[in-house]
Amino acid sequence: MSSKSTLRVPAWIARKDFSEYLRDGRLHWAGGLVLILLLTALAVGWQNQRAISGERAVAQKLDYSDWVSQNTRHPHDAAHQGMHVFKPEPPLSVIDPGITPYVGSTLWLQAHRQSEVKFRPAQDATGLQRLGQLSAAWVLQVLGPLLIIVLGFNAFAGERELGTLRQTLSLGITQRQLLWGKALGLLACLAVLLLPAGIAALVASLWGLTSELQMDTTLRLLGLGLGYGVYLLIAIFVVLAVSAWAKTSRVALVVLLGMWIVGTLMVPRAASDLARTLNPSPSRLEFASKMNADLHTHYQQAWKDNFGVDKRWGSDLPLNKWGVALQVDDHAGYSVTDKHFGDLWHAFEHQQRSQEWAGLVVPILALRSFSMGIAGTDFANHRDFSVAAEQHRRLMQDLMSADLVKNADSLDNKHFAYQADPKLWATVPRFGYQLPGVAAAFQNNLLSLLVLLAVLTISVLLARAACARRLL
Amino acid sequence: MLSAQNVTKTFGETQALNAVSLTVMPGDIYCLLGANGAGKTTLINVFLNFLQPTTGTAQVNGRDVTAEPLQTKRDLAYIPEQVMLYGVLSGLENLDYFAALATGQKQPGVTLLRLLADVGLDETAAMRRVATYSKGMRQKVGIAIAMAKEAKALLLDEPTSGLDPSAANEFSQLLKKASQNGVAVLTTTHDLFHAKQTATRIGIMKRGQLVAELSSADITHSDLEALYLQHMRA
Amino acid sequence: MRDANNSWQLFCTVFKHEGRVLLADRTLWLVASLLLALLCYALFNGLAHTQARADVASVVLKKQADQQVKNLDLLNRMMAGKATPEPFANPADPASIGSGMGARYAVLPATALAPVAVGQSDMFSHYYQVTYRSKLNFMYDSEIENPWNLLSGHFDLTFVMVYLLPLLIFAVSYNLLSAEREQGTLRMLLSQPLGLRLLVLAKLAVRAFAVIGLATLVPVLVLLVIRPETREASALALLILWALLAGIYGLFWLALAAAINALGRSSAANALMLIGSWVVLVLVMPVLLNLVVGQISPAPSRTELATRTRLITIDGLNRYNKLLSTDYRYTDKPEILLPKDGKIEVPPRRKGAYLLQRDVDNEITPVLDQFDRQLAGQQALVERFGFVSPAITAHEGMAALAGNGSRRYMQFQTQVGAFHTQWKQYFEPRMMADTAIVPADFDRMPRFTWHETPKAEVRSDAGLRAMQLLLLTLALGGFTAWRLRRYPVV
Repeated sequence: MSSKSTLRVPAWIARKDFSEYLRDGRLHWAGGLVLILLLTALAVGWQNQRAISGERAVAQKLDYSDWVSQNTRHPHDAAHQGMHVFKPEPPLSVIDPGITPYVGSTLWLQAHRQSEVKFRPAQDATGLQRLGQLSAAWVLQVLGPLLIIVLGFNAFAGERELGTLRQTLSLGITQRQLLWGKALGLLACLAVLLLPAGIAALVASLWGLTSELQMDTTLRLLGLGLGYGVYLLIAIFVVLAVSAWAKTSRVALVVLLGMWIVGTLMVPRAASDLARTLNPSPSRLEFASKMNADLHTHYQQAWKDNFGVDKRWGSDLPLNKWGVALQVDDHAGYSVTDKHFGDLWHAFEHQQRSQEWAGLVVPILALRSFSMGIAGTDFANHRDFSVAAEQHRRLMQDLMSADLVKNADSLDNKHFAYQADPKLWATVPRFGYQLPGVAAAFQNNLLSLLVLLAVLTISVLLARAACARRLL
Repeated sequence: MLSAQNVTKTFGETQALNAVSLTVMPGDIYCLLGANGAGKTTLINVFLNFLQPTTGTAQVNGRDVTAEPLQTKRDLAYIPEQVMLYGVLSGLENLDYFAALATGQKQPGVTLLRLLADVGLDETAAMRRVATYSKGMRQKVGIAIAMAKEAKALLLDEPTSGLDPSAANEFSQLLKKASQNGVAVLTTTHDLFHAKQTATRIGIMKRGQLVAELSSADITHSDLEALYLQHMRA
Repeated sequence: MRDANNSWQLFCTVFKHEGRVLLADRTLWLVASLLLALLCYALFNGLAHTQARADVASVVLKKQADQQVKNLDLLNRMMAGKATPEPFANPADPASIGSGMGARYAVLPATALAPVAVGQSDMFSHYYQVTYRSKLNFMYDSEIENPWNLLSGHFDLTFVMVYLLPLLIFAVSYNLLSAEREQGTLRMLLSQPLGLRLLVLAKLAVRAFAVIGLATLVPVLVLLVIRPETREASALALLILWALLAGIYGLFWLALAAAINALGRSSAANALMLIGSWVVLVLVMPVLLNLVVGQISPAPSRTELATRTRLITIDGLNRYNKLLSTDYRYTDKPEILLPKDGKIEVPPRRKGAYLLQRDVDNEITPVLDQFDRQLAGQQALVERFGFVSPAITAHEGMAALAGNGSRRYMQFQTQVGAFHTQWKQYFEPRMMADTAIVPADFDRMPRFTWHETPKAEVRSDAGLRAMQLLLLTLALGGFTAWRLRRYPVV
C-alpha cells in the first residue's frame, strides 16, 4: 500500500466514527456537558483573576506610599508597623488555580520575625470548597478521561459484537490502520470541543497583559497544551487498548470506569495520605518549639560573642547598644529560620516530587503537578514569593537598625526619644516582585512531563499489543 | 379455558393482531400455524399480559387478563420457545424457585425430583448448573415448572423447534396426557406434521388475522399442507 | 389478609433466590470485600488523624501547665528576693504575663464521631494561644500542612460513603431488571403470579441488606469498639443518626438504579445513565454550588482587610507616639523590675504597644464581623440549596456530626474571641494602674472553657438532612412504581 493510502484509511475510519458519535448523541450530551463546564470555569476564573490582580496592584501601591509618607517616629516602631506585600496572581491561574485557595497571598513584613502568609481563601469558603473548585484544569483532568471512556469504550468491543469488525478486517485494513483511525476519531471529538475552549483560554489569559508577559504566558499556554494533550492521548490509547482486549463492551466499560475511579478519585487522595504518613508535617507547636530552641542557642551565642551578656534583651544591655543589638539579634536568627523553613518547604516539595513519580502508574498526579507548575500556581512559585518577601523584610530591618546605630545609639538612655527623619522611609525600595519566568517553570517541571511522555509510550504499545493479539 | 374476543393490537402503524377471536376449551389442544410475524407470539404475549390489547379482551377461565393479572397467571402455565433459566444455579434449584413462585409455597425436594424424573431429567443432571444444559434439557425444566403448577391452561411457543424427532415425539405425548387431564392447551408452531399429529383444533394466522380455523380430525396431512400454503400465498 | 401473607411468602422466595444468585456469581463477594477494604482504610485514616490532633492538644495543655508552674515558681522566688526577672519576661509584670509569657491556650476538643469526617479540621486550627495583643496576631495561623495535601483531600469515611458507596451500589444494581430481560428469565418470572413491583422490591431489599447494611454496620461497630467515647448515650445517638443518614443516602442511589431500570433500557445504557447521574450529582453539583454561592455571597477582600489594618496601625502609632517614645528605665534602675507594695512599673512603651493593639482590635472587629457574616451567609445558602445534590446533603451532614464542619469551627472562633475580650479585660486595668501580679492571681485569671454545640441542635440538623434524603428516595420510589406498569417485558 502506498503511503497516501496509509494516511487516508485511518482518516476514513476516523470520519465514520466521528459521525457515529454525533448521531448516537454521546458527543452532544457528554461533550456538551464538558464544554459548558470548561467555558464556565474559564469565565469565572477570568473574572476572579482580574478582580484580584487589580485589587492587589492598587493595595501594593497604597501600602508603599503610606510607608513613605509616614510621620517622623522611632525606626523600630516603623519596623513594627512594617509593610504589606501582596503576591501577584499569575495570569494562568485562570486555567489552573493550583494551590492558591490553600495559601494566602498577603504577607505582613514586620520586625523580629519571619512571618507566614495568612488568609487562605479556602478558609473564607464553606466546606463545599473541599469537594473541588471549578477550574478548566479540574474539568480536563477529571472529566476529560471520562468523556473519552464514554465515547470510546465500545470502539473495538462494540464493533466486534456487531460483527462489523470482522467485515472491516476482511477488506484488507490492517489492525494498525484501524487503531490509528479510531484514535484519530476520538482525537477529532476532543478537538471539536477543546478548540473553542482553547481560544477562550487564550483570550482570557492574555487580556490586559504587557507584551513580554504576553510572550511568557503564550509559551506557558503552549506548555499546558502539550501536557494536557499528552494526558488525553494517554486516555485515548488506554481506552482503545481495553476496548480491544475486552470480550464484550460491557466488560470494557466496567474495567475502564473502574480505572477512572481509582485513577482520578481514589489514588490522589490515598497517595496524599500515604505521603503524609511516611513524611508527616510537624504540628505548628512542634515546628515552633524546635525552631525557638535552635534560635535560643544561636541568640545566646551571638549575644555572648558580641555583648558578653548571658541573656537576650536582658537588663545588662545598655540602651546605647540597642541599635547594634537589633542588628546582631536579627542576623543571628536568619540562618536558623532559613534552615527550618527551608527544611519544611523541602519536605513539601519532596512529597510532591514523589507523587510525580507515582504518575507513572497514575498519570493524573504527574499532570496535576505539571499543570500547576507551568501555570505558576504551585508551591515552588509560592516559595519563591515568600523568600523574596523575606529578603525585602531583612533589607527593611537592616536599614532601620543601621539608622538606629548611626543616630540613636549615641543618645544613650534617650534611645526611644529618637524620631527619625521621614526621608529615611524612602530609602527602603518598593517591593518589586516579578513572577518567575517560563524557562524556570519548564526546568522545574521537566520530570512530570517526561513521566507523562513515558506513560504515553507505554499506552501506545499496550494498544498496539492488544490490537495485534485480541482484536477478533 | 382460554378465550380471545376480538383482540386487536397495534404498534404505531403496524397491526400485529386484527380482531382475533378464538376459544380453547379444557382438553383441547389448539395449534396456531403461521409464518414469522403473523402474530402468533403476540397473541401469546397478550394472554400473558406482557402486551395489552388495543381493543378486545383475552380471558383465562372467564377472567380478563388485564383486570386480574395475578389470578389469571395462577391458572396459566407458559413454556417459551427458549426456556431461559439462571445459569449459576442447578436445574433443581431453578425448579425450586419457579415452582415456589408458581404455587405460592416451597415444594418439597422429593416432589421436585419426581417432577424432573417425569420429564426425563435424572438426579445427576438435575444437580448440574443450568449453564451446562442443552436446549432440550432446559425445555424439560420448563415443562417441569409448568407441571408443578398444575395449571388448567397451558401456553406454548414453538415448543418443538430445535428438538430432534424423538424429543419432539416425547413432547407431543406429554401434551396429550395434559389434555386428557382437562388442560386447555394453546400452542404455536411452524411444524405442520406435529400440528396435525397432536392438535385437536388448528388455526392459521396471516398478518395478524385468523384466516382459517378447523378441526384436526377433519383434514389429512397433505390437505392441511395445501391449505396452509394456499393461505400463505394469497 | 391471605393476599398479604401470600405476598410476604413470594417476597421471601425472591429474596432468598436473589441472594443465592448474587453470591453464586461472585459480584457480591467482590463488591463486599472491596467495600470492607475501603471502609477499614478510611476508618484507619480517620482514627489516626483524630489521634494526632488529640496528641497535639494534650502537648499544648501540658506546655501551658508547665509554663504556669515555671512562672509561679519564678514569682515566688522573686518575692522571696532570691531571683531577678528579665525585663521582657517578668512574672510580676502584667504586660509580660498577659502576652507570651503567661498566655493561655484555647483548645477545641474532638467529638466522639470525629474519625468519621476530616472535614475542615485540617484547615482550621483547633487551638489558639490567646494574648492581649490583637486577634489578628493569633487567629489566622493555621496548622502546618502541605497545600498539595489540602488540595487532594482526605481518604476518610465520608469520602468512601459519599463518593464510592454509590458506585458500589451501581455495580450490583445497574442491571437489576435489564439483566433478567436480556437473559430471558423475566418472561419466565412474570408468567408466574408474581407482581413486577414485588419482584423489584425483593431484589432491592437483598442489595440494600448486603451492601448498605455492611456500609452502615461496619463503621458503627468499629467505632464502638475502638473509640470508647462513642458508647456514651448522647454520642451513641449521634452514631445511630450517622448510620441512618448514611443508610438513607445509600437507599437513594439504590432507588435511582431502580428508577433507571424501570425505564426499560439495556444494561449498558443503564450503566451509562447511572454513571452520568453520579458525575452530575456527586462531582459537578457540589463544585457548581460552591461557585454559585461564592458569586452570590462573595468573601470580602482580605487585601482590603490588610489595608485597613495598616491604616489603623498608623493612626495608633501616631496617637500613642508619646508613650512609645518613652525609654525603658530598667537599665538605670534595675530595682523597678521588682514589685513593691503590690505595684510595679509597667514600661510606658509596653502600655503604648498594648493600647495600639487594643485600638486595632476595636476598629477591625466590624471588618472581621463582616467576614464572619459573609461566611455564615454562604453556609446558609449551602444549607438551603444543598438539596440539589444528595451528595452535598450527606457530606455536610456527616461533617457536622463529626464536629468538623465549618460551623463548629466558626463557633470556636467566636468563643475564643469572647475569651480574648475577657483576657484583655483582666489585664488592661492592671497594666494601666501598674498593679503587680501576685501568686494568687494565677488561679483567678480567665480560663477558656469550650461550650459544646447543644446535642439537640446537631441531632435535629442530622434528622432534617435524613428526612430530605428520604423524601427524595420516596419520590424516586414512587416514580419507579409508576413506571414499572409500562415495563416492556418483551
